[in-house]
Amino acid sequence: MNGMLNEQTSIYLQIAQMMENDILRGIYAEEEQVPSTNELARQFRINPATAAKGVNLLVDEGVLYKKRGIGMFVSAGAVAAIREKRKAAFYEQYVKSLVSEAANLQITQTELLEMIRRAAGAQ
Amino acid sequence: METKILRAEALVKRYGKKEVLHGLDVAFEPGHIYGLIGRNGAGKTTLLGCLTGQLRTTGGMVSYGGAPVWENARALGEICFSRELSPMLMFGQNTYKVKEYLRAARYYYPHWDEEYARRLMKEFGLDEKKRICRLSKGMLSMVTIVLALASRAPVTILDEPVAGLDIVARERFYQLLLEDYAETGRTFIVSTHILDEASNVFEQVIVMDDGRIIENAPTEELVGQFHHISGRADEVDAAVAGCTVLFCEQLGRSKAVCVRCNDEALARISAHDVDVAPMNLQKVFVALTGHKEEDSHETK
Repeated sequence: MNGMLNEQTSIYLQIAQMMENDILRGIYAEEEQVPSTNELARQFRINPATAAKGVNLLVDEGVLYKKRGIGMFVSAGAVAAIREKRKAAFYEQYVKSLVSEAANLQITQTELLEMIRRAAGAQ
Repeated sequence: METKILRAEALVKRYGKKEVLHGLDVAFEPGHIYGLIGRNGAGKTTLLGCLTGQLRTTGGMVSYGGAPVWENARALGEICFSRELSPMLMFGQNTYKVKEYLRAARYYYPHWDEEYARRLMKEFGLDEKKRICRLSKGMLSMVTIVLALASRAPVTILDEPVAGLDIVARERFYQLLLEDYAETGRTFIVSTHILDEASNVFEQVIVMDDGRIIENAPTEELVGQFHHISGRADEVDAAVAGCTVLFCEQLGRSKAVCVRCNDEALARISAHDVDVAPMNLQKVFVALTGHKEEDSHETK
């Protein structure tokens, strides 16, 4: 957890997202302990209540779980769960805005599909 | 830790004929970090003075755990008000040494933590033998921070603690504050004009304007109500019809406005061909309290 906070979205959502990114990258493995809300508060200089809100979001989603008196851990299967969730959001977040910006620029459907194919080929 | 509420009810303060606080109601619950913001002369320091029994109220009441604060030594030992230190006193330069302030604090605050004070002095590189009038503006702020943090008072109030501090020292201050808060969970009330690093630290923000409290809400909740909308003037006007518009800028055919609205109204606005951007606490503060400047410009 050492990303940078921006002002585009709520801080607690950014904390949750950074934690997810770190889990996807294997920085925190499944069944491993993650930083406490006080550690996150100190590191990002944010109110602990905000950090807790972000972490609790992931607890509610089953990505993290609490061990009473010890701390917060990454759930087994968290990586797959995060990937599934992000896939579901992919259409809403990326595809829709891609199509609407293409429409703004009067890019035809054929042109758009051609661009996507080209980009996918380059990867 | 004590679980007492610091409360002001119908608080009025007059200096001579001039009324500077017009009947304020505010309560500080234990275990939160409050930010107090307002423009110069809004009444912040007067409010803090009244809350801590350093200023006599003209009307209304200030209580801590239900008991009046005024001349209540027991309550006042629980509340630390670390004021800005002045290099000048009434009869000349402030020639007291830093260690004399520390000694006074040791006697005054029953929860005073000497070891913590020493650690902070070292961290800031402060020399206790120095005279107050010989300290730079930043060092004066550091002394007030040491006094406030080491007081370990259940309610700790810092008035402009970061004035004169550079960005590195400001970030370090908020880190120290959060470390102490994690450990003790005591209540902090911080007034400041520098909102950049502060806004994420404040759980609750209180906005004062002209002797009144105009906002008192969780920071994120308050900031989340404000949005910056820009685009073609006619489209922006159509998008924000029926919303509370706080300011508006027009440049040729383009227009930008700041609106205060709920998520439902925001969804309606976003359906138009306009750009919607979030705002930060600093911009929200300007939108809420910058009106006088705007008005005076228009009448010129």
